[in-house]
Amino acid sequence: MIKVGIIGAGRMGITHYSIINSNPNIEIVAVADPSALTTVILEKYLKILTFKDYKKMLQKVKLDALLVCTPPFLNVEILEEAAKLGLHVFCEKPFTLKPNDAKMLADLFESKNLVNQIGYVNRFNDVFIKVKELIDANVIGKLIRFKTEMYSRTITQPDDGAGWRSTHANGGGALYEMGTHSIDLINYILGKPDKVTGSVLTNVYSKHVEDIVSTTLVYDNGLAGTLYVNWSDDSYRKPTNKIEFFGEEGKILADQHGFKIYLKKENKELSYRVGWNTFYITDIFKTVPFYVRGNEFTSQLYHFVDSIEKNKKSTMCSFRDGYNTLSIVEDIFNDSNKK
Amino acid sequence: MEVFDKIVFGDNQFFGINHMSQEKAQQLAEQFYDINNIYSVYESAFKAGVNGIMLNSNERAIDICNHFRSNPDKYGHINWYPSIPYPHKYVNLIAEKGVLPAINSILFKENSAKGILGMMAQGGAAIITKDVISMMKMLVDMEMKMFKGLNVKVVFLQNIVTDLILGFGIKEIFQEYCKHIKKKYNATPGLITQNMPELRSKLIEWGIEEVVICSSFNKIGYLMSPDLQSYIDAAKANDSSKYQLWAMSTLASGAIPPKEAYGFINNQNIQTVVFGASSSKHIEQTVSLIDLK
Repeated sequence: MIKVGIIGAGRMGITHYSIINSNPNIEIVAVADPSALTTVILEKYLKILTFKDYKKMLQKVKLDALLVCTPPFLNVEILEEAAKLGLHVFCEKPFTLKPNDAKMLADLFESKNLVNQIGYVNRFNDVFIKVKELIDANVIGKLIRFKTEMYSRTITQPDDGAGWRSTHANGGGALYEMGTHSIDLINYILGKPDKVTGSVLTNVYSKHVEDIVSTTLVYDNGLAGTLYVNWSDDSYRKPTNKIEFFGEEGKILADQHGFKIYLKKENKELSYRVGWNTFYITDIFKTVPFYVRGNEFTSQLYHFVDSIEKNKKSTMCSFRDGYNTLSIVEDIFNDSNKK
Repeated sequence: MEVFDKIVFGDNQFFGINHMSQEKAQQLAEQFYDINNIYSVYESAFKAGVNGIMLNSNERAIDICNHFRSNPDKYGHINWYPSIPYPHKYVNLIAEKGVLPAINSILFKENSAKGILGMMAQGGAAIITKDVISMMKMLVDMEMKMFKGLNVKVVFLQNIVTDLILGFGIKEIFQEYCKHIKKKYNATPGLITQNMPELRSKLIEWGIEEVVICSSFNKIGYLMSPDLQSYIDAAKANDSSKYQLWAMSTLASGAIPPKEAYGFINNQNIQTVVFGASSSKHIEQTVSLIDLK
């Protein structure tokens, strides 16, 4: 039985608790969160040990693994402590704010052979996994251009500039919150871009942080693409990631729910015809043992448990991957500050 | 337990929800931008013989409820099956403010009560423990306001809430929810879930009976955890005097042709089908294909 502790019982902490609790090979033994609502409920109804201060939890409770669901500006200290204690860690994105910290933590966990995973959940979406397979198999030929986009209606009114998400120092803004998803998806499918250029960050409603991000991502081999992230787009009911790839032999359009592939020539092996081929999530989904918020949320946590059990060296989304995303984030900030 | 309509008309199509495709969802959102288009689809459903409506408590549902309430002679016979809450209201607020302030702002705004933060300031954590249950009841009552005066038969908890609490395994919240729905609304408690076999076995273990369990149920196992076979087995073993099983997503958002879909569904031990459609042709076709045992 893997003994799990959770730090941070906000929205993600609560969701992850509910999902991972369904895994027969784990036992949640303790939760740390400074606010009383969740911890009091957990204590009363489930007899879980709860702590206001995570340090006390780590001192007093013997754990094997940790879910870290705290705001990213708190994570460096927490993760260093976890590594010291030899705990395997699943950490919510974007993991840290500075790439230097992320690199240090990736080195640290790798050197200690500890399982480390970041919550870029799109890597576990059945559509995006399929698209990566198709790109890897060169189905649309040599890639020339791509797009990566994310939309949501997270901030659609002027904000008061309070709240932990409203400054960059706290990890707020559309780039840390959502842009990281779009960047990670490209890193996952194509590898890390070599250069960032033409970055524009725009405030619409937020006082201190950007609501819209645009930039161009360039690879040394000539492949290039645009990133466009907007968390103030009221027309989207749910957060949506979109990607598009244009290659010499065709193109692929995808979101979380399905993909379309356009081919210049028939692909007999895959039974794709010339022109458009459309597939929905209902054609390619894999069921999960327990569903709370989408299959990918369950898959990513079961992957974490599985990696611990099988003593796997790396995960589908490691701290190293988290570092790669944050280094692009820093490049975008720097690029947008250039006059 | 009480027996309900065999066919209930759902609402996803009206609110731009399609689990398979965001493009289809957008098209639907456009089609039903004018609320009169929603009413005319309901009329087609009534014409096809449908007498039950499942409706989620989102902002547009307020107008829909008002419309049907304002004409009791014409619509008084309709059975209502509300589902609460409208999750995205909470999701966006929580994303913006955090869990506690989000709940607080909702309770405070609508009840002009002190809200949860006031409760905390007064009595700290001890008050919350005692009042988690009454806080939940307050939230339920708020969501239920719009359905007042309608003939409410079953009140469903949305799957995101059901499955979250199921994952935690907190018996008391389910117990108290069921009690509250029976007592205050004189209705049957309902739970929507994407984990029907697990929920059913937990309810049995906890001794919570006379509940309607509504879940995706389709031939390809879409949105059915842990898998299709477990659903078929759980339905087969089910005693419908204790738990009624309702099926939704029977077409898996259009992935299964209707004939094939209901050929499968009609052979399962299911009491009610919830379906949505946006044209009278599809409504009539579906109604004619549903033939539960």
